[in-house]
Amino acid sequence: MNIFIKFILFFTLVICFTRSLVLAETPEEKGLRIAIEADLDGQGFQDTVSHMEMTLRNAQGEESVRKFYSKTLELENDGDKSIFVFEHPRDVEGTAVLTFTHKAGPDDQWLYLPALKRVKRISSDNKSGSFVGSEFAYEDLSSQEIEKYTYKWIEDATCPGFEEEVCYVTEDYPVDKSSGYTRRVIWMDQTEYRIWKIDFYDRKNDLLKTLVFSDYKLYLDKYWSAHSLKMVNHNTAKETDISIREILYQTGLKDADFNRQSLKRAR
Amino acid sequence: MRIALLVLILLLQPLASFADFEPNFTEYKGEFSLSSRIFPESPLYSGQQHNNYSLSIEPEVYAEWSNNSNFVFKPFYRFDNEDSHRTHFDLREMQYSFYEDDWEANVGIGQVFWGVTESKNLVDIINQFDVVDDPLLKTKLGQPLFNVTLIRESGYFDFFILPYFRERTNPGKKGRLRTDPHFIKNSTKFEGGSQWTPELSMRWSNSFNSYDISLHSFIGYSRAPSINIKIIDGVINYVPNYQRIRQIGGTLQNTLESTLLKLEWIAKDGEKDSSFRRGGSFSSVIGLEHTLFQSFGDNGDLGFLFEYNFDSRKDKSPDVLQDDIFMAARFSLNDSQNTEILFGSIFDLDGDGQIYQLDFGQRLNDSLNLNVKGAIYQNGRLGSNLYILRQDSWFEVSLKQYF
Repeated sequence: MNIFIKFILFFTLVICFTRSLVLAETPEEKGLRIAIEADLDGQGFQDTVSHMEMTLRNAQGEESVRKFYSKTLELENDGDKSIFVFEHPRDVEGTAVLTFTHKAGPDDQWLYLPALKRVKRISSDNKSGSFVGSEFAYEDLSSQEIEKYTYKWIEDATCPGFEEEVCYVTEDYPVDKSSGYTRRVIWMDQTEYRIWKIDFYDRKNDLLKTLVFSDYKLYLDKYWSAHSLKMVNHNTAKETDISIREILYQTGLKDADFNRQSLKRAR
Repeated sequence: MRIALLVLILLLQPLASFADFEPNFTEYKGEFSLSSRIFPESPLYSGQQHNNYSLSIEPEVYAEWSNNSNFVFKPFYRFDNEDSHRTHFDLREMQYSFYEDDWEANVGIGQVFWGVTESKNLVDIINQFDVVDDPLLKTKLGQPLFNVTLIRESGYFDFFILPYFRERTNPGKKGRLRTDPHFIKNSTKFEGGSQWTPELSMRWSNSFNSYDISLHSFIGYSRAPSINIKIIDGVINYVPNYQRIRQIGGTLQNTLESTLLKLEWIAKDGEKDSSFRRGGSFSSVIGLEHTLFQSFGDNGDLGFLFEYNFDSRKDKSPDVLQDDIFMAARFSLNDSQNTEILFGSIFDLDGDGQIYQLDFGQRLNDSLNLNVKGAIYQNGRLGSNLYILRQDSWFEVSLKQYF
């Protein structure tokens, strides 16, 4: 055989082989691949500072408002570091939480209580607990790491609330046993990997909550950020809205801005 | 006044060197509180009044400069309609701070918290307790200090020079929750020095996985006075007497899934016990905090606190908690009003009585909070610290308005 035929044969083999690979991709593998692609797409933001307003609404429509800001630092080899600072209501103003997210194992968390000047190491085990009485659980707001879920692709469908795009519909399953969910169903568009909707299923596998994202804005020509999040609890008819008032990317935060000393200065 | 002057001089020193004095950020806020303390049982000691009302105000000014420095000014004033010793003024904070990535320096009057346990915090030696403000010892007087913190891979290293000693506040003749006779002012004895004799302290702390650990040393006056007797016009009076001590101590916390294991310990010498004998002693608080997350209501967390308090001086310790078990249940409703209730009890293992505590807090609106707390003192043995308070079980209702 001459070299030309050899090449053709090799090429054909490669085509067949990779094709069969693609065909053999299970829904689980596809789910994982999508999650990794979305994760890679969101990498490189370095750091962010966001100012948020949270509106809690009970079944009777009574509202109460929380304000806070957060600083996040992206790390390459481990989960993100973040500081959350409450600004409103007044009795919790200045209360701050420092979190070191880990890809594996429990996160490290310190709570700062400004009235006592106390820094208290707290358990990060309360994943499914309500964040300040809202419909968001701590795990809904913590840094999302690939390793914390297993995945499955379900179907492709039009994006809810954004008809011109096609979404991947995937399910993920929390690895941590203390999670409040058996699974989450996620609608994420195929072009920009923006999440449009998440359905949360509780431990009994009943639909518990739905979170809808909207008002996406593009930062640094690369990072899409939703400025409006709406969580509805189907059991209690309570709702919580998060509105991002401002988000700044690459503000130059350093590792030194995320320790227990800087936590005490947060206000 | 002399403290204020000293601190002002200290503050002006670094401030004067800044060409651009205008802060980048300033904030004015504060809180105002109105409270009523009720004693169901009649007073035991002569001069004591029944119930009291009190107002307090704590404004705060904060300024921040872009060269990594800030200044906080937080004066405090309490008015009490009965007890003139409880009517008092304090500078809770008046502190200038500057910092870089790996260090921070503070000059002025500050508040420092080192503890990890809940029933009491043995290791907190920097600040004096403001006993008249809160008999459960949660509030502290501002402490004049110079402090440098170094942040290294090997941990946080704190160095303190404390140029001035703050005396513990004590109820006056008309006040409840006091000894008989009460402590008089302006005759305090400082053994081996004066109120201006400097004190020194160092501390190291770090975290290793689930462990948070700290060690400290201290040379200076004990924060707890012993009692001297002074006879004025044939009447016996109590006078606080402070001794210089050397102390080492530390904290350890292991944060497991929903359980926190905690230890605080100190070893000190130079302090007089309640039989006026000077010597060394060892004290510790060891315990755990276990939380059942989302165990009641919509989102309620139930926390259990269990701690053992030990003091090698036993019943000669000036502290009420010296061989006592502390048990408490804390209900955090996690509702939109941030409701929290704590029921606590303290049992002396030597049979020297019990204390029951209550603390209830709730947000009424965005800037108004309600707090109800109290303590019941029972079965104190004749002559013990608890026996002194046998008629003084109390509860307090307060409203706090933020502005």
